[in-house]
Amino acid sequence: MLSLRELQSRFFQAIAHVPGTYTGEGYDPALLHVVQAQGQLGAPERIDIYAHMYYLRLRNTLQEDFPSVAAILGDERFSTLVRAYLPLHPSTHPSLRYLGRQFPAFLVTRSEVAVHPFLLDLARLEWARLEVFDAPDAEPLRLSDLQGIAPDEWPDLRFRLIPASELVTCAWNIHEIWKAVEEKDPTGDIACPQEVTLRVWRNGFTVYHAAMNAPERLALEAVRAGQSFAAVCETLVSLVSAEEAAATVGSLLLRWIDDGLLAAMSATA
Amino acid sequence: MGYSASPLGHGVGLRTQHYPRVWEGTARVDWFEAISENFMIRGGRPLAALEKARAVAPLVLHGVSGSLGSTDPLNEEYLRELRLLIRRFEPAWVSDHLCWGSNGGHYAHDLLPLPYTEEALVHVAARIQAVQERLGRQILIENVSTYLTFSHSTMTEWEFVTAVAERSDCGILLDVNNIYVSATNHGFPPEVYLKSLPADRIGQIHIAGHSNFGTHLLDTHVGPVPAPVWDLYRLAVRLFGKVSTLIEWDEEVPEFEVVVAEADRARAIETEVLGERCAESA
Repeated sequence: MLSLRELQSRFFQAIAHVPGTYTGEGYDPALLHVVQAQGQLGAPERIDIYAHMYYLRLRNTLQEDFPSVAAILGDERFSTLVRAYLPLHPSTHPSLRYLGRQFPAFLVTRSEVAVHPFLLDLARLEWARLEVFDAPDAEPLRLSDLQGIAPDEWPDLRFRLIPASELVTCAWNIHEIWKAVEEKDPTGDIACPQEVTLRVWRNGFTVYHAAMNAPERLALEAVRAGQSFAAVCETLVSLVSAEEAAATVGSLLLRWIDDGLLAAMSATA
Repeated sequence: MGYSASPLGHGVGLRTQHYPRVWEGTARVDWFEAISENFMIRGGRPLAALEKARAVAPLVLHGVSGSLGSTDPLNEEYLRELRLLIRRFEPAWVSDHLCWGSNGGHYAHDLLPLPYTEEALVHVAARIQAVQERLGRQILIENVSTYLTFSHSTMTEWEFVTAVAERSDCGILLDVNNIYVSATNHGFPPEVYLKSLPADRIGQIHIAGHSNFGTHLLDTHVGPVPAPVWDLYRLAVRLFGKVSTLIEWDEEVPEFEVVVAEADRARAIETEVLGERCAESA
Protein backbone atom coordinates (compact mmCIF):
# COMPACT_ATOMS: atom_id res chain seq x y z
CA MET A 1 0.00 0.00 0.00
CA LEU A 2 1.19 3.50 -0.80
CA SER A 3 1.79 6.00 1.97
CA LEU A 4 -0.11 9.28 1.60
CA ARG A 5 3.13 10.97 0.61
CA GLU A 6 3.90 8.39 -2.09
CA LEU A 7 0.33 8.43 -3.34
CA GLN A 8 0.32 12.21 -3.80
CA SER A 9 3.71 12.23 -5.46
CA ARG A 10 2.70 9.53 -7.95
CA PHE A 11 -0.73 11.06 -8.54
CA PHE A 12 0.73 14.50 -9.25
CA GLN A 13 3.34 12.99 -11.54
CA ALA A 14 0.60 11.11 -13.40
CA ILE A 15 -1.55 14.16 -14.11
CA ALA A 16 1.25 16.68 -14.73
CA HIS A 17 4.00 14.71 -16.47
CA VAL A 18 2.92 14.97 -20.10
CA PRO A 19 0.03 17.38 -19.91
CA GLY A 20 -2.55 17.24 -22.65
CA THR A 21 -1.80 13.71 -23.81
CA TYR A 22 -3.94 11.11 -22.10
CA THR A 23 -2.38 7.78 -22.78
CA GLY A 24 -4.72 5.95 -20.45
CA GLU A 25 -2.17 3.17 -20.15
CA GLY A 26 1.12 4.76 -19.24
CA TYR A 27 0.25 5.45 -15.64
CA ASP A 28 2.28 4.22 -12.70
CA PRO A 29 1.17 0.62 -11.91
CA ALA A 30 1.34 1.28 -8.15
CA LEU A 31 -1.07 4.19 -8.60
CA LEU A 32 -3.39 2.22 -10.90
CA HIS A 33 -3.44 -0.51 -8.27
CA VAL A 34 -5.06 1.75 -5.64
CA VAL A 35 -7.54 3.53 -7.95
CA GLN A 36 -10.84 1.70 -8.16
CA ALA A 37 -12.50 0.92 -11.47
CA GLN A 38 -16.21 1.77 -11.26
CA GLY A 39 -19.02 1.59 -13.78
CA GLN A 40 -17.88 2.34 -17.32
CA LEU A 41 -14.59 3.88 -16.23
CA GLY A 42 -11.45 1.94 -15.35
CA ALA A 43 -8.65 3.29 -13.18
CA PRO A 44 -6.72 4.89 -16.11
CA GLU A 45 -9.81 6.69 -17.42
CA ARG A 46 -10.49 8.04 -13.93
CA ILE A 47 -6.96 9.41 -13.63
CA ASP A 48 -7.41 10.82 -17.15
CA ILE A 49 -10.24 13.02 -15.88
CA TYR A 50 -7.84 14.71 -13.46
CA ALA A 51 -5.01 14.86 -16.03
CA HIS A 52 -7.36 16.51 -18.50
CA MET A 53 -8.58 19.08 -15.97
CA TYR A 54 -5.00 19.87 -14.94
CA TYR A 55 -4.00 20.58 -18.51
CA LEU A 56 -7.18 22.43 -19.48
CA ARG A 57 -7.17 24.82 -16.53
CA LEU A 58 -3.51 25.75 -16.97
CA ARG A 59 -3.80 26.01 -20.73
CA ASN A 60 -6.81 28.33 -20.41
CA THR A 61 -4.92 30.48 -17.94
CA LEU A 62 -1.99 30.91 -20.33
CA GLN A 63 -4.40 31.64 -23.16
CA GLU A 64 -6.07 34.37 -21.09
CA ASP A 65 -2.69 35.82 -20.10
CA PHE A 66 -1.20 35.74 -23.63
CA PRO A 67 -4.27 36.20 -25.85
CA SER A 68 -2.42 37.71 -28.83
CA VAL A 69 0.32 35.07 -28.84
CA ALA A 70 -2.40 32.40 -28.67
CA ALA A 71 -4.41 34.04 -31.47
CA ILE A 72 -1.41 34.28 -33.81
CA LEU A 73 -0.34 30.68 -33.25
CA GLY A 74 -3.83 29.18 -33.36
CA ASP A 75 -5.16 26.47 -31.04
CA GLU A 76 -2.97 23.59 -32.12
CA ARG A 77 0.40 25.32 -32.07
CA PHE A 78 -0.41 27.18 -28.86
CA SER A 79 -1.35 23.87 -27.23
CA THR A 80 1.95 22.36 -28.33
CA LEU A 81 3.75 25.26 -26.66
CA VAL A 82 1.73 24.88 -23.46
CA ARG A 83 2.43 21.15 -23.31
CA ALA A 84 6.15 21.89 -23.55
CA TYR A 85 5.98 24.79 -21.06
CA LEU A 86 4.10 23.15 -18.19
CA PRO A 87 6.57 20.34 -17.35
CA LEU A 88 9.46 22.86 -17.43
CA HIS A 89 7.65 25.60 -15.52
CA PRO A 90 4.88 24.10 -13.41
CA SER A 91 2.89 26.44 -11.20
CA THR A 92 4.78 27.18 -7.98
CA HIS A 93 2.33 29.69 -6.54
CA PRO A 94 -1.10 29.07 -5.00
CA SER A 95 -2.54 31.64 -7.42
CA LEU A 96 -2.76 31.00 -11.17
CA ARG A 97 -1.79 34.63 -11.65
CA TYR A 98 1.91 33.73 -11.77
CA LEU A 99 1.78 30.64 -14.01
CA GLY A 100 2.96 32.55 -17.09
CA ARG A 101 5.87 34.35 -15.45
CA GLN A 102 8.49 32.29 -17.34
CA PHE A 103 6.53 32.08 -20.59
CA PRO A 104 8.27 34.92 -22.49
CA ALA A 105 11.73 33.60 -21.54
CA PHE A 106 10.65 30.06 -22.46
CA LEU A 107 9.64 31.26 -25.94
CA VAL A 108 13.26 32.14 -26.73
CA THR A 109 14.02 28.42 -26.93
CA ARG A 110 11.14 27.57 -29.28
CA SER A 111 11.02 27.02 -33.02
CA GLU A 112 7.70 28.93 -33.21
CA VAL A 113 9.78 32.06 -32.60
CA ALA A 114 11.89 31.30 -35.67
CA VAL A 115 8.70 31.43 -37.76
CA HIS A 116 7.24 34.48 -35.97
CA PRO A 117 10.29 36.23 -34.46
CA PHE A 118 8.11 38.99 -32.96
CA LEU A 119 6.26 36.53 -30.66
CA LEU A 120 8.81 36.93 -27.91
CA ASP A 121 8.31 40.71 -27.71
CA LEU A 122 4.55 40.28 -27.98
CA ALA A 123 4.59 37.88 -25.01
CA ARG A 124 6.70 40.35 -23.02
CA LEU A 125 4.17 43.11 -23.73
CA GLU A 126 1.25 40.89 -22.69
CA TRP A 127 3.00 39.92 -19.46
CA ALA A 128 3.85 43.58 -18.73
CA ARG A 129 0.17 44.48 -19.20
CA LEU A 130 -0.76 41.80 -16.68
CA GLU A 131 1.85 43.01 -14.19
CA VAL A 132 0.53 46.54 -14.50
CA PHE A 133 -3.11 45.43 -14.14
CA ASP A 134 -2.75 44.46 -10.47
CA ALA A 135 0.34 46.45 -9.44
CA PRO A 136 0.02 48.63 -6.31
CA ASP A 137 -2.30 51.63 -6.45
CA ALA A 138 -0.85 55.14 -6.22
CA GLU A 139 -2.22 58.65 -6.15
CA PRO A 140 -1.43 60.22 -9.57
CA LEU A 141 0.28 63.58 -9.91
CA ARG A 142 -2.15 66.39 -10.89
CA LEU A 143 -1.32 69.43 -12.92
CA SER A 144 -2.45 71.58 -9.98
CA ASP A 145 0.26 69.97 -7.83
CA LEU A 146 2.88 71.76 -9.95
CA GLN A 147 1.38 75.23 -9.67
CA GLY A 148 2.81 76.01 -6.24
CA ILE A 149 6.36 75.10 -7.21
CA ALA A 150 8.72 78.09 -7.33
CA PRO A 151 10.85 78.47 -10.54
CA ASP A 152 14.09 78.00 -8.62
CA GLU A 153 12.87 74.66 -7.27
CA TRP A 154 12.35 73.18 -10.73
CA PRO A 155 15.92 72.09 -11.58
CA ASP A 156 16.02 69.78 -8.54
CA LEU A 157 12.51 68.38 -8.90
CA ARG A 158 12.34 64.61 -9.15
CA PHE A 159 9.27 62.99 -10.63
CA ARG A 160 8.29 59.39 -9.98
CA LEU A 161 6.41 56.92 -12.14
CA ILE A 162 3.40 55.19 -10.60
CA PRO A 163 4.14 51.56 -9.54
CA ALA A 164 1.70 50.34 -12.22
CA SER A 165 4.08 51.19 -15.06
CA GLU A 166 6.67 49.28 -17.08
CA LEU A 167 8.91 49.91 -20.06
CA VAL A 168 9.17 47.19 -22.70
CA THR A 169 11.85 47.52 -25.36
CA CYS A 170 11.03 45.56 -28.51
CA ALA A 171 12.84 44.69 -31.71
CA TRP A 172 9.55 44.68 -33.64
CA ASN A 173 6.57 47.01 -34.16
CA ILE A 174 4.75 45.19 -31.36
CA HIS A 175 2.24 47.99 -30.67
CA GLU A 176 0.98 47.69 -34.26
CA ILE A 177 0.91 43.89 -34.21
CA TRP A 178 -0.95 43.92 -30.86
CA LYS A 179 -3.53 46.35 -32.25
CA ALA A 180 -4.00 44.29 -35.40
CA VAL A 181 -4.65 41.12 -33.35
CA GLU A 182 -6.98 43.05 -31.03
CA GLU A 183 -8.94 44.23 -34.09
CA LYS A 184 -8.77 40.72 -35.56
CA ASP A 185 -6.80 41.90 -38.60
CA PRO A 186 -4.43 39.57 -40.41
CA THR A 187 -0.96 40.11 -38.96
CA GLY A 188 1.28 38.48 -41.52
CA ASP A 189 2.20 41.57 -43.49
CA ILE A 190 2.43 44.26 -40.86
CA ALA A 191 5.23 42.81 -38.70
CA CYS A 192 8.49 44.60 -39.36
CA PRO A 193 11.75 44.90 -37.44
CA GLN A 194 11.80 48.21 -35.58
CA GLU A 195 13.42 49.03 -32.27
CA VAL A 196 10.76 50.63 -30.13
CA THR A 197 10.25 51.14 -26.41
CA LEU A 198 6.68 50.93 -25.16
CA ARG A 199 5.47 52.46 -21.95
CA VAL A 200 2.83 50.27 -20.30
CA TRP A 201 0.76 51.76 -17.51
CA ARG A 202 -2.58 51.74 -15.71
CA ASN A 203 -4.83 54.77 -15.48
CA GLY A 204 -7.67 54.06 -13.09
CA PHE A 205 -8.35 50.39 -13.79
CA THR A 206 -7.55 50.46 -17.49
CA VAL A 207 -4.20 49.25 -18.83
CA TYR A 208 -2.64 51.15 -21.74
CA HIS A 209 0.56 51.01 -23.72
CA ALA A 210 2.11 53.49 -26.13
CA ALA A 211 5.18 53.60 -28.36
CA MET A 212 7.65 56.37 -27.53
CA ASN A 213 9.87 58.40 -29.82
CA ALA A 214 13.57 58.85 -28.96
CA PRO A 215 13.24 62.04 -26.79
CA GLU A 216 10.34 60.58 -24.79
CA ARG A 217 12.17 57.30 -24.24
CA LEU A 218 15.34 59.06 -23.03
CA ALA A 219 13.41 61.43 -20.77
CA LEU A 220 11.22 58.70 -19.27
CA GLU A 221 14.19 56.43 -18.63
CA ALA A 222 15.92 59.32 -16.88
CA VAL A 223 12.83 60.04 -14.73
CA ARG A 224 12.61 56.37 -13.91
CA ALA A 225 16.26 56.36 -12.87
CA GLY A 226 15.41 59.07 -10.33
CA GLN A 227 17.14 61.97 -12.09
CA SER A 228 16.28 65.62 -11.42
CA PHE A 229 14.34 67.77 -13.89
CA ALA A 230 17.59 69.49 -14.90
CA ALA A 231 19.34 66.15 -15.47
CA VAL A 232 16.36 64.84 -17.46
CA CYS A 233 16.61 67.91 -19.71
CA GLU A 234 20.33 67.31 -20.13
CA THR A 235 19.78 63.78 -21.42
CA LEU A 236 18.03 65.33 -24.43
CA VAL A 237 20.77 67.69 -25.55
CA SER A 238 22.15 65.08 -27.92
CA LEU A 239 18.80 65.26 -29.76
CA VAL A 240 17.63 68.86 -29.38
CA SER A 241 19.07 72.23 -28.39
CA ALA A 242 19.32 73.19 -24.70
CA GLU A 243 16.36 75.61 -24.95
CA GLU A 244 14.26 73.07 -26.76
CA ALA A 245 15.13 70.37 -24.19
CA ALA A 246 13.33 72.13 -21.32
CA ALA A 247 10.30 72.80 -23.51
CA THR A 248 10.26 69.18 -24.72
CA VAL A 249 10.47 67.78 -21.20
CA GLY A 250 7.77 70.25 -20.14
CA SER A 251 5.38 69.06 -22.80
CA LEU A 252 6.24 65.40 -22.03
CA LEU A 253 5.42 66.03 -18.36
CA LEU A 254 2.02 67.40 -19.36
CA ARG A 255 1.35 64.31 -21.47
CA TRP A 256 2.46 61.93 -18.70
CA ILE A 257 0.33 63.76 -16.12
CA ASP A 258 -2.63 63.59 -18.49
CA ASP A 259 -2.06 59.83 -18.88
CA GLY A 260 -1.77 59.30 -15.11
CA LEU A 261 1.76 57.96 -15.50
CA LEU A 262 3.37 60.08 -12.76
CA ALA A 263 2.84 59.58 -9.04
CA ALA A 264 1.89 62.36 -6.65
CA MET A 265 4.98 63.84 -5.02
CA SER A 266 5.66 62.71 -1.51
CA ALA A 267 7.07 65.11 1.09
CA THR A 268 10.56 63.73 0.47
CA ALA A 269 10.44 64.03 -3.32
CA MET B 1 -17.22 22.38 20.63
CA GLY B 2 -18.73 22.72 17.19
CA TYR B 3 -19.01 25.64 14.84
CA SER B 4 -21.39 28.55 15.08
CA ALA B 5 -21.87 31.59 12.88
CA SER B 6 -24.90 33.82 12.40
CA PRO B 7 -26.67 32.90 9.15
CA LEU B 8 -26.05 35.50 6.45
CA GLY B 9 -28.92 34.47 4.19
CA HIS B 10 -28.57 33.55 0.51
CA GLY B 11 -25.56 34.93 -1.32
CA VAL B 12 -23.60 34.58 -4.55
CA GLY B 13 -19.94 34.13 -5.42
CA LEU B 14 -18.25 37.40 -6.42
CA ARG B 15 -17.14 37.05 -10.07
CA THR B 16 -15.26 39.46 -12.34
CA GLN B 17 -18.17 39.57 -14.79
CA HIS B 18 -20.20 41.35 -12.10
CA TYR B 19 -17.55 43.87 -11.01
CA PRO B 20 -19.23 46.67 -13.03
CA ARG B 21 -22.46 46.07 -11.09
CA VAL B 22 -20.59 46.02 -7.79
CA TRP B 23 -18.93 49.22 -8.90
CA GLU B 24 -22.24 50.95 -9.67
CA GLY B 25 -23.63 49.79 -6.32
CA THR B 26 -26.46 47.86 -8.02
CA ALA B 27 -25.26 44.33 -7.12
CA ARG B 28 -27.73 43.70 -4.29
CA VAL B 29 -27.50 40.39 -2.52
CA ASP B 30 -27.47 39.04 1.08
CA TRP B 31 -23.72 38.31 1.03
CA PHE B 32 -20.70 37.64 -1.17
CA GLU B 33 -18.10 34.91 -1.18
CA ALA B 34 -14.76 35.80 -2.79
CA ILE B 35 -11.99 33.40 -3.88
CA SER B 36 -9.06 34.25 -1.58
CA GLU B 37 -6.26 33.58 -4.11
CA ASN B 38 -7.72 36.02 -6.66
CA PHE B 39 -7.02 38.87 -4.25
CA MET B 40 -3.46 37.97 -3.27
CA ILE B 41 -2.30 40.88 -5.43
CA ARG B 42 -1.08 44.41 -4.75
CA GLY B 43 -3.69 46.70 -6.29
CA GLY B 44 -5.95 47.49 -9.22
CA ARG B 45 -9.52 46.68 -10.06
CA PRO B 46 -10.03 43.32 -8.24
CA LEU B 47 -9.10 44.68 -4.81
CA ALA B 48 -11.10 47.85 -5.41
CA ALA B 49 -14.13 45.75 -6.40
CA LEU B 50 -13.73 43.65 -3.26
CA GLU B 51 -13.66 46.82 -1.14
CA LYS B 52 -16.90 47.93 -2.80
CA ALA B 53 -18.55 44.54 -2.34
CA ARG B 54 -17.47 44.48 1.31
CA ALA B 55 -19.07 47.89 1.83
CA VAL B 56 -22.52 46.77 0.68
CA ALA B 57 -22.80 43.18 1.98
CA PRO B 58 -21.10 40.73 4.35
CA LEU B 59 -18.16 38.90 2.83
CA VAL B 60 -16.53 35.52 3.34
CA LEU B 61 -13.21 34.32 1.91
CA HIS B 62 -13.07 30.94 0.19
CA GLY B 63 -9.68 29.39 -0.61
CA VAL B 64 -8.98 27.00 -3.47
CA SER B 65 -5.23 26.44 -3.02
CA GLY B 66 -4.78 26.01 0.72
CA SER B 67 -3.95 22.39 -0.12
CA LEU B 68 -5.00 21.27 3.37
CA GLY B 69 -4.46 17.58 2.65
CA SER B 70 -1.06 17.90 0.98
CA THR B 71 2.02 16.19 2.42
CA ASP B 72 4.07 19.26 1.43
CA PRO B 73 5.04 21.60 4.27
CA LEU B 74 2.41 24.29 4.92
CA ASN B 75 2.91 27.25 2.61
CA GLU B 76 3.68 29.91 5.22
CA GLU B 77 3.85 32.70 2.63
CA TYR B 78 0.35 31.79 1.47
CA LEU B 79 -0.94 31.87 5.04
CA ARG B 80 0.72 35.24 5.56
CA GLU B 81 -1.05 36.59 2.46
CA LEU B 82 -4.31 35.12 3.72
CA ARG B 83 -3.86 36.80 7.09
CA LEU B 84 -3.31 40.14 5.33
CA LEU B 85 -6.54 39.66 3.37
CA ILE B 86 -8.41 38.73 6.53
CA ARG B 87 -7.13 41.81 8.33
CA ARG B 88 -8.09 44.09 5.46
CA PHE B 89 -11.48 42.66 4.51
CA GLU B 90 -12.70 41.21 7.83
CA PRO B 91 -14.57 38.23 6.36
CA ALA B 92 -17.38 36.68 8.42
CA TRP B 93 -15.45 33.42 8.05
CA VAL B 94 -12.78 31.69 5.97
CA SER B 95 -13.05 28.35 4.20
CA ASP B 96 -11.08 25.96 2.00
CA HIS B 97 -11.43 22.42 0.66
CA LEU B 98 -10.94 18.98 2.17
CA CYS B 99 -8.48 17.84 -0.49
CA TRP B 100 -4.94 18.46 -1.66
CA GLY B 101 -3.66 20.41 -4.68
CA SER B 102 0.10 20.69 -4.43
CA ASN B 103 3.07 18.35 -4.39
CA GLY B 104 6.77 19.08 -4.25
CA GLY B 105 5.98 22.81 -4.27
CA HIS B 106 4.01 22.52 -7.53
CA TYR B 107 0.34 23.46 -7.71
CA ALA B 108 -2.27 21.61 -9.77
CA HIS B 109 -4.92 24.31 -9.21
CA ASP B 110 -7.39 21.50 -8.79
CA LEU B 111 -9.13 19.81 -5.87
CA LEU B 112 -7.46 16.40 -5.76
CA PRO B 113 -8.95 13.46 -3.84
CA LEU B 114 -7.68 12.03 -0.57
CA PRO B 115 -7.90 8.38 0.42
CA TYR B 116 -10.24 7.96 3.38
CA THR B 117 -7.72 6.30 5.68
CA GLU B 118 -6.62 6.78 9.28
CA GLU B 119 -3.28 8.08 7.98
CA ALA B 120 -4.95 10.77 5.85
CA LEU B 121 -7.35 11.63 8.66
CA VAL B 122 -4.54 12.19 11.19
CA HIS B 123 -2.52 14.17 8.64
CA VAL B 124 -5.23 16.51 7.37
CA ALA B 125 -6.73 17.12 10.82
CA ALA B 126 -3.31 18.21 12.13
CA ARG B 127 -2.84 20.49 9.10
CA ILE B 128 -6.24 22.13 9.63
CA GLN B 129 -5.37 22.65 13.29
CA ALA B 130 -2.08 24.26 12.28
CA VAL B 131 -3.86 26.54 9.79
CA GLN B 132 -6.44 27.51 12.41
CA GLU B 133 -3.61 28.36 14.81
CA ARG B 134 -1.83 30.49 12.18
CA LEU B 135 -5.08 32.33 11.35
CA GLY B 136 -6.24 32.56 14.95
CA ARG B 137 -9.72 31.34 14.04
CA GLN B 138 -11.74 28.28 13.08
CA ILE B 139 -12.07 27.60 9.37
CA LEU B 140 -14.70 25.71 7.37
CA ILE B 141 -13.74 22.78 5.16
CA GLU B 142 -15.67 21.91 2.03
CA ASN B 143 -16.36 18.41 0.70
CA VAL B 144 -15.17 18.20 -2.94
CA SER B 145 -16.48 16.44 -6.04
CA THR B 146 -14.42 13.36 -6.85
CA TYR B 147 -13.96 11.27 -9.98
CA LEU B 148 -12.13 8.35 -8.43
CA THR B 149 -11.95 6.49 -5.15
CA PHE B 150 -9.03 4.64 -3.58
CA SER B 151 -9.21 0.94 -2.88
CA HIS B 152 -7.34 1.30 0.41
CA SER B 153 -9.92 3.71 1.90
CA THR B 154 -11.19 2.30 5.19
CA MET B 155 -14.14 4.63 5.73
CA THR B 156 -16.84 6.37 3.73
CA GLU B 157 -16.43 9.96 2.62
CA TRP B 158 -19.02 11.17 5.12
CA GLU B 159 -17.29 9.34 7.96
CA PHE B 160 -14.02 10.94 6.86
CA VAL B 161 -15.46 14.48 6.62
CA THR B 162 -17.08 14.14 10.04
CA ALA B 163 -13.96 12.71 11.68
CA VAL B 164 -11.70 15.41 10.21
CA ALA B 165 -14.05 18.20 11.33
CA GLU B 166 -14.37 16.78 14.83
CA ARG B 167 -10.70 16.04 15.28
CA SER B 168 -9.59 19.48 14.08
CA ASP B 169 -12.62 21.25 15.58
CA CYS B 170 -13.44 23.10 12.37
CA GLY B 171 -16.70 23.89 10.62
CA ILE B 172 -18.10 22.22 7.50
CA LEU B 173 -18.94 24.00 4.27
CA LEU B 174 -21.44 21.56 2.89
CA ASP B 175 -21.39 21.53 -0.91
CA VAL B 176 -24.66 19.89 -1.84
CA ASN B 177 -23.78 19.78 -5.53
CA ASN B 178 -20.48 18.05 -4.78
CA ILE B 179 -22.30 15.40 -2.76
CA TYR B 180 -24.65 14.81 -5.68
CA VAL B 181 -21.79 14.65 -8.20
CA SER B 182 -19.72 12.24 -6.08
CA ALA B 183 -22.77 10.13 -5.19
CA THR B 184 -23.57 9.72 -8.90
CA ASN B 185 -19.94 9.06 -9.83
CA HIS B 186 -19.41 6.46 -7.12
CA GLY B 187 -22.90 5.09 -6.61
CA PHE B 188 -23.67 5.95 -3.00
CA PRO B 189 -26.95 7.38 -1.66
CA PRO B 190 -26.49 11.15 -1.12
CA GLU B 191 -29.23 11.21 1.54
CA VAL B 192 -27.21 8.87 3.75
CA TYR B 193 -24.23 11.22 3.42
CA LEU B 194 -26.29 14.25 4.46
CA LYS B 195 -28.02 12.50 7.35
CA SER B 196 -24.76 11.33 8.87
CA LEU B 197 -23.09 14.77 9.07
CA PRO B 198 -22.79 16.57 12.44
CA ALA B 199 -25.43 19.34 12.34
CA ASP B 200 -23.55 21.47 14.86
CA ARG B 201 -20.63 21.91 12.46
CA ILE B 202 -22.44 22.95 9.27
CA GLY B 203 -21.61 26.63 8.84
CA GLN B 204 -22.32 27.18 5.15
CA ILE B 205 -23.90 25.49 2.14
CA HIS B 206 -22.82 25.70 -1.51
CA ILE B 207 -25.15 24.94 -4.39
CA ALA B 208 -24.25 24.97 -8.07
CA GLY B 209 -24.73 23.33 -11.44
CA HIS B 210 -22.65 20.52 -12.94
CA SER B 211 -22.14 18.89 -16.35
CA ASN B 212 -23.06 15.37 -17.41
CA PHE B 213 -20.35 13.68 -19.49
CA GLY B 214 -22.25 10.43 -19.82
CA THR B 215 -19.70 8.34 -17.96
CA HIS B 216 -19.51 10.80 -15.06
CA LEU B 217 -20.70 14.14 -13.73
CA LEU B 218 -18.20 17.00 -13.62
CA ASP B 219 -18.39 19.83 -11.08
CA THR B 220 -18.30 22.72 -13.57
CA HIS B 221 -20.49 25.29 -11.77
CA VAL B 222 -22.21 25.95 -15.07
CA GLY B 223 -25.90 26.66 -15.60
CA PRO B 224 -28.80 26.78 -13.16
CA VAL B 225 -28.94 24.44 -10.18
CA PRO B 226 -30.37 21.09 -11.42
CA ALA B 227 -33.53 19.63 -9.85
CA PRO B 228 -31.86 16.77 -7.92
CA VAL B 229 -29.47 19.27 -6.30
CA TRP B 230 -32.45 21.39 -5.21
CA ASP B 231 -34.00 18.22 -3.73
CA LEU B 232 -30.85 17.57 -1.73
CA TYR B 233 -30.77 21.21 -0.62
CA ARG B 234 -34.33 20.79 0.62
CA LEU B 235 -33.19 17.81 2.68
CA ALA B 236 -30.18 19.77 3.99
CA VAL B 237 -32.45 22.58 5.20
CA ARG B 238 -34.73 20.02 6.87
CA LEU B 239 -31.71 18.49 8.64
CA PHE B 240 -29.62 21.57 9.45
CA GLY B 241 -32.12 24.47 9.56
CA LYS B 242 -31.12 27.99 8.60
CA VAL B 243 -27.61 27.85 7.13
CA SER B 244 -25.88 30.58 5.07
CA THR B 245 -26.28 29.42 1.49
CA LEU B 246 -24.29 30.45 -1.57
CA ILE B 247 -24.78 30.01 -5.33
CA GLU B 248 -21.61 29.25 -7.32
CA TRP B 249 -21.71 29.98 -11.06
CA ASP B 250 -18.30 30.00 -12.77
CA GLU B 251 -18.68 29.05 -16.43
CA GLU B 252 -20.78 31.02 -18.93
CA VAL B 253 -21.55 33.42 -16.09
CA PRO B 254 -24.89 35.14 -16.79
CA GLU B 255 -26.26 38.53 -15.67
CA PHE B 256 -26.05 39.21 -11.96
CA GLU B 257 -29.85 38.96 -11.56
CA VAL B 258 -29.88 35.43 -13.00
CA VAL B 259 -27.46 34.24 -10.30
CA VAL B 260 -29.31 36.17 -7.60
CA ALA B 261 -32.57 34.55 -8.79
CA GLU B 262 -31.03 31.18 -7.85
CA ALA B 263 -30.20 32.55 -4.39
CA ASP B 264 -33.82 33.77 -4.13
CA ARG B 265 -35.01 30.30 -5.04
CA ALA B 266 -32.86 28.82 -2.27
CA ARG B 267 -34.39 31.33 0.18
CA ALA B 268 -37.90 30.34 -0.92
CA ILE B 269 -37.10 26.66 -0.37
CA GLU B 270 -35.66 27.41 3.07
CA THR B 271 -38.76 29.42 4.03
CA GLU B 272 -41.04 26.67 2.79
CA VAL B 273 -39.17 23.83 4.53
CA LEU B 274 -38.76 25.68 7.82
CA GLY B 275 -42.46 26.70 7.65
CA GLU B 276 -43.43 23.05 7.26
CA ARG B 277 -41.15 22.12 10.15
CA CYS B 278 -42.78 24.75 12.42
CA ALA B 279 -46.23 23.52 11.41
CA GLU B 280 -45.21 19.92 12.20
CA SER B 281 -43.92 20.80 15.66
CA ALA B 282 -46.90 23.06 16.50
